[in-house]
Amino acid sequence: MPSRLQSLRLDPKLLAIGAGGGLLSGLLGVGGGIVMVPLLVLWAAYSQREAHALSLGAIIPISIAGIATYGVAGEVRYGTAIALAAGSIVGARIGAGWLARIDERLLKVVFGTFLVGVAVLMGVHG
Amino acid sequence: MSGPTLYVVLVAFGVVVGVASGLLGVGGGTLIVPFLTLAAGFSQHAAEATSLLVILPTAIAGSLALRRRGVGDLGLALRFGVVGAVGSVLGALLALALPADTLRIVFAVFVGVVGLRLARDGIRGERPAPEG
Repeated sequence: MPSRLQSLRLDPKLLAIGAGGGLLSGLLGVGGGIVMVPLLVLWAAYSQREAHALSLGAIIPISIAGIATYGVAGEVRYGTAIALAAGSIVGARIGAGWLARIDERLLKVVFGTFLVGVAVLMGVHG
Repeated sequence: MSGPTLYVVLVAFGVVVGVASGLLGVGGGTLIVPFLTLAAGFSQHAAEATSLLVILPTAIAGSLALRRRGVGDLGLALRFGVVGAVGSVLGALLALALPADTLRIVFAVFVGVVGLRLARDGIRGERPAPEG
C-alpha cells in the first residue's frame, strides 16, 4: 500500500538529525537529547515543545541499542538502578505534565540554561 | 553515604532526573553519570551502564505521559529514534579511533553557544527563522 509506505518514511531532515545526532551522542558519550533537541529547533524548525517530545520518544530505541551495545549486564548496580528509576519514573510524569503546559519561551530559556550548564560541566570535568 | 540514607538520596535524585527528562526531552545520563561517579563513588563504566538502565524506563514513562496529553507523535519519535540508534552505535565505534578529549572540548563549546542562543531567543521572544 503506497499510502502506508509513505507514512513510514521520515522527513530527510529528521533522518539526518537522527543519524548525525546519534553519531555525536555515541561518539561523545552524551545523551541524544542534548544533540537532537537543538538541531530539531534550530535547523528543522520544530517548536521547542514538539522537539522535546520527539527527542524523549527517540531516546527509547537509542537507549535499547546502548544497552545492547555495551552489554551492561556485568556492570549494572541493580539496587542503584532500581532506586533511581523508582524516583525518575515519578519525576518523568511530573516533567511531562509541565512540558505540556509550559510557555514556549520559558521552555527555551530553561533548556538553553541547561545546555550552558552541561557545556560548563563537560569543559571542566571532561 | 551508605545503607538506607543512600537509597533515600538515590530515589530523591531520581525524581529530579525524571523531571528534567520529561520537561527537557533528554535522557538524563548527563546528570546521572556525574552523580554516580562523584557522589556514590562508582567507576565510569558502572555509572554509564547503570545510567542506561535508568534512562529507558524514564523515557518510556515520560513519553507515555506526553502521549496521553496529546503532545508530540510517539510513532514518529520511535522511527526517528531507530535512525538515531544506528548512528549512535557507529559513533561509539568511531569514538575508539578518535582523540576524544579534543572532541569533547569542541562539543562543549558548541553546546554552550547553542544554549546561549536558545536562551536569548526565549528571552527576546524570537522564533527561529523557518527554512525551506
